[in-house]
Amino acid sequence: MDSWRYEPTGDFDKTPIERLKDFPRHPNLLVYGARSVANFTIRAILRIWNRLEVIGRENLPETESYVLVANHSSHLDAPALLASLPMKKMHRAFPAAASDYFFTSLSKVAFSAIVINALPFDRKENPRQSLDVCRQLLETPGHILILFPEGTRTADGTIGVFKPGVGFLTAGTDFPVVPCFLDGAFKAWPKGKSFPRPRKLRLFIGPPMRFRSRTSVKEDAVAIANEMRDAVLSLQPRNLFTTLES
Amino acid sequence: MNTAALQNPIFRGYLFVLVGLLVVAGILLAIFRYVFRKNVTHAWNAYRGWLIIIPLVFTALFFGRVTTIVFFTLLAIGGFTEFARATGLYRDWWMTGVVLLGIISVGVVSILDDPETHIHGWYGMLMALPVYVVSAILMIPILRDRAKGQLQPIALAILGFIYIGWMFGHLAFLANARNAYGYLLYLLFAVPLCDVSAFTFGRLLGRRKFRPNISPNKTWAGAVGAFLVSMVFPWLVRFSFPEFTPRDLILAGVIVGIGSQLGDLSISVIKRDIGIKDMGALLEGHGGILDRVDSLIYVAPLFFHMTRYFHGL
Repeated sequence: MDSWRYEPTGDFDKTPIERLKDFPRHPNLLVYGARSVANFTIRAILRIWNRLEVIGRENLPETESYVLVANHSSHLDAPALLASLPMKKMHRAFPAAASDYFFTSLSKVAFSAIVINALPFDRKENPRQSLDVCRQLLETPGHILILFPEGTRTADGTIGVFKPGVGFLTAGTDFPVVPCFLDGAFKAWPKGKSFPRPRKLRLFIGPPMRFRSRTSVKEDAVAIANEMRDAVLSLQPRNLFTTLES
Repeated sequence: MNTAALQNPIFRGYLFVLVGLLVVAGILLAIFRYVFRKNVTHAWNAYRGWLIIIPLVFTALFFGRVTTIVFFTLLAIGGFTEFARATGLYRDWWMTGVVLLGIISVGVVSILDDPETHIHGWYGMLMALPVYVVSAILMIPILRDRAKGQLQPIALAILGFIYIGWMFGHLAFLANARNAYGYLLYLLFAVPLCDVSAFTFGRLLGRRKFRPNISPNKTWAGAVGAFLVSMVFPWLVRFSFPEFTPRDLILAGVIVGIGSQLGDLSISVIKRDIGIKDMGALLEGHGGILDRVDSLIYVAPLFFHMTRYFHGL
């Protein structure tokens, strides 16, 4: 008979808050349970209140790890993207969230870590280190990283410039990058309003892009970021109509 | 128990004493810190923890039977989670999940009424629960068709449920007693008092180690001193249980005086075998939930069955 072995968790000495701020998070049955319930509720609300519709679901890779890049116009974006992924991927999809905003107070940490399963992204002090964390995450198959490369919510509804970090992350790698355009979120929940309005949300998912042959120099990273922005822009329904007509 | 807690002289008595103790302790700490210029960081951390724990417990008890049961059930869930995280049982989600469901069931049957007598708390089902939960735990490896390395998770899950879930659950069930405030507040006061006495007597008089391989800081003087304090205490708070005869007061003292030290040592055995100092890091100066309630887990069921045998609940 083998002798017994006790292996405490890796985050055993940490307080509950430190454990939630930690990344990668150690698996926790209670957190998974709470997240499942919360996600189920959010899915139902988005389907009913915002009549969320997903177009192009077949473009999502099945088993590989991939990056979802999308336009960022409201706090509905991350929940809407999460709600568009298959249920079983819930605990393996990580929206990158600004650590200077979403990981400050107790209630925000609890919401970001438990409900959204957010990856704390340090966009100010140490973005390189956060990109390394993203890269490690993608190296495990089956993970989904959700990025908003604009780095902040739009103030006027237009899509801003994509930051080159996403280019550094994907240049020279085989990770598929899936461009998404979320339509209606800006009208449904503009910056400054405390509660979302019942406006229709539509998520357009485009075909995956890869940047294997690129190098992670600054110019290439900027170019990749621009290509991704163009791909997201091309998914806009207006553009769909114009291309169909021409 | 009803929401008119403040009408209850026992609740008022303990509330008065504990608020007084907190105030006096705070003043003493301040005097040591600012007048005598002593380093009180350690004591201050523990004091800050009590400033959270005591109001929390009184609030739960104040709102009555159901909140009390829910509060202690949440403590049991937190305590078992710490145990699972420390032993590595948490990796086995089925085992952990079944034990958690079992602990929730303990809380639910404590809230429910007995279907035959219609009094609060389904005592018969509380006593029968270990049968069902152990059966469910033993089913898990069979359903998975796996034998290798299964004895350890089975044993840990059964210990976790019986000790931290079910035996500790007796404390929550005491909320159904006619004299719930008296029993609960006595236990919640007497058990930490026993711990503090052991610490104080050990510091002042302790020379010979009590159980050096389990808990190296405990001494014989501390153990004996704590036992004596615990024997005297029920007589001082006799107002908590007017129905108790001298025999019951002696038994209550023995159960707390010996039981809480054994409870402390029982959790220490587990911690020492694993090689950890605390079961968690919830409150600075107190460790985890299990470090705080270790003695109560041992004492609660013994006290419960003593009072139930002699007086009914």
